[in-house]
Amino acid sequence: MKAWLRGFWAVFEKDIKLELRARYAINMLLLFALGALVVMAFAVGSTPLSARVQAALLWTVLLFAAAVGLGRAFISEEERGTMLLLQLNLRPGAVYAGKLLVNFALLLALNLVAVGAFAVLLRVQVAWPGLLALTLVLGSIGLAGATTLLSALIARAAGGRGALLPVLLFPVLVPLLLSAVEATRSALLVAEGWAAATDELLTLVGFGGAVITAAVLLFDYIWLD
Amino acid sequence: MAETADIVNLRRYRLIRNAVFVWLTLVVLGAFLLRIPRIHILEHTARNLYFHVPMWFTLMAAALVSAYHSLRYLQSGDPVRDLRAREAARVGIVFGLLGLATGIVWSRFTWYLGTSLWWNFDPKQSFVLIQLLIYGAYFVLRSAVEDPEKRGRVAAVYNLFAFVTMPFLLYVLPRQMESLHPGAEGNPAFSDITHPIMRLVFYPAVIGFIGLFWVLYTQRVRLALLERRLEMRKATMLEPES
Repeated sequence: MKAWLRGFWAVFEKDIKLELRARYAINMLLLFALGALVVMAFAVGSTPLSARVQAALLWTVLLFAAAVGLGRAFISEEERGTMLLLQLNLRPGAVYAGKLLVNFALLLALNLVAVGAFAVLLRVQVAWPGLLALTLVLGSIGLAGATTLLSALIARAAGGRGALLPVLLFPVLVPLLLSAVEATRSALLVAEGWAAATDELLTLVGFGGAVITAAVLLFDYIWLD
Repeated sequence: MAETADIVNLRRYRLIRNAVFVWLTLVVLGAFLLRIPRIHILEHTARNLYFHVPMWFTLMAAALVSAYHSLRYLQSGDPVRDLRAREAARVGIVFGLLGLATGIVWSRFTWYLGTSLWWNFDPKQSFVLIQLLIYGAYFVLRSAVEDPEKRGRVAAVYNLFAFVTMPFLLYVLPRQMESLHPGAEGNPAFSDITHPIMRLVFYPAVIGFIGLFWVLYTQRVRLALLERRLEMRKATMLEPES
């Protein structure tokens, strides 16, 4: 257990350090999300949008940004030729957990910036900030769980073919998207709030749990040759 | 190679195929000839129950068979398991498309009549679409990997991972959404439209279409096994004689 934790933390620390040095993934995530938001804001113009549409646009951007920016977690190991070292030294679960935490941290950073820009550009009023924050955190857990496993899958399979990750990711994420949009909508409306979003929040917790459990169980099969 | 003979029992296959033929013929005759109670809005379209709903059951059966063989592939590494998972998914797609088509047409000309709606985000309609997307992605992923052993493993992991997220679409979200399907608000509950005489056809139809799935699936598995054998024979023939 101790070795597992040490391995997990080592993977996390290494990736965060590399990320802070090059800032490739985070810049890509942020600029992709900002670019997409600007495109949406310009396309919409000054038309007032319903809370439902605002929530839908926000989550579409977050999902697309994650699919574009988080796919490199394992491909970079393959490119640097460090995959074998990880395979030899660490348990698969520790590698998965480390990468998952990195992706989760990146998503949280993305959320902070994207939601701010989103509120300004699309003139969003948030009635329940706490609910919005919890929705974003829970949504990001499920999103990171799925992206991490599937990015390992395509890195092992095809050495990172461009559009493969979104193709695999989007169908699996539909349940998450539906609940997250619904909960975000409740967070934007004064009349709704926590009571209206309970079901959606529970669904998000369940989805994140199911996805991560399944990913941990299945990761061994794609990690070890 | 005795592989095919071991895996497919031809006599059993022919027996079940003929039985399914006769059975489905009777089901179709019953579906169109038996008198059914007229319900407001539904009228004679209620007969679609015999075709549309069994497609849904069959798709779930196919998804289950496919996921089961993917799991066994990960455990055993037996290429036949991968082949079975692939063929179950392939036949499942056909039934999914049929279920979607019968559902869209049915709702368009009954409940949505006058609204010109073709699509209204019914949870089950959405589930079929997602399942089709997932199987589409499954085949895209398969075509992206050359090495058969690796392809099998990667595809099986994706298939199982997608299968785990299914209960949310099947059981969690429908409880939070409005639906045209039985039990939801404003719709005839299952027990209302299933007058005893309709059950007489409906349950056999479910069995019949799952039987049809079995026939098509085993047929495709046999074909795939033969193709594999042919390829292996070609490979050995091309090898220089030592």
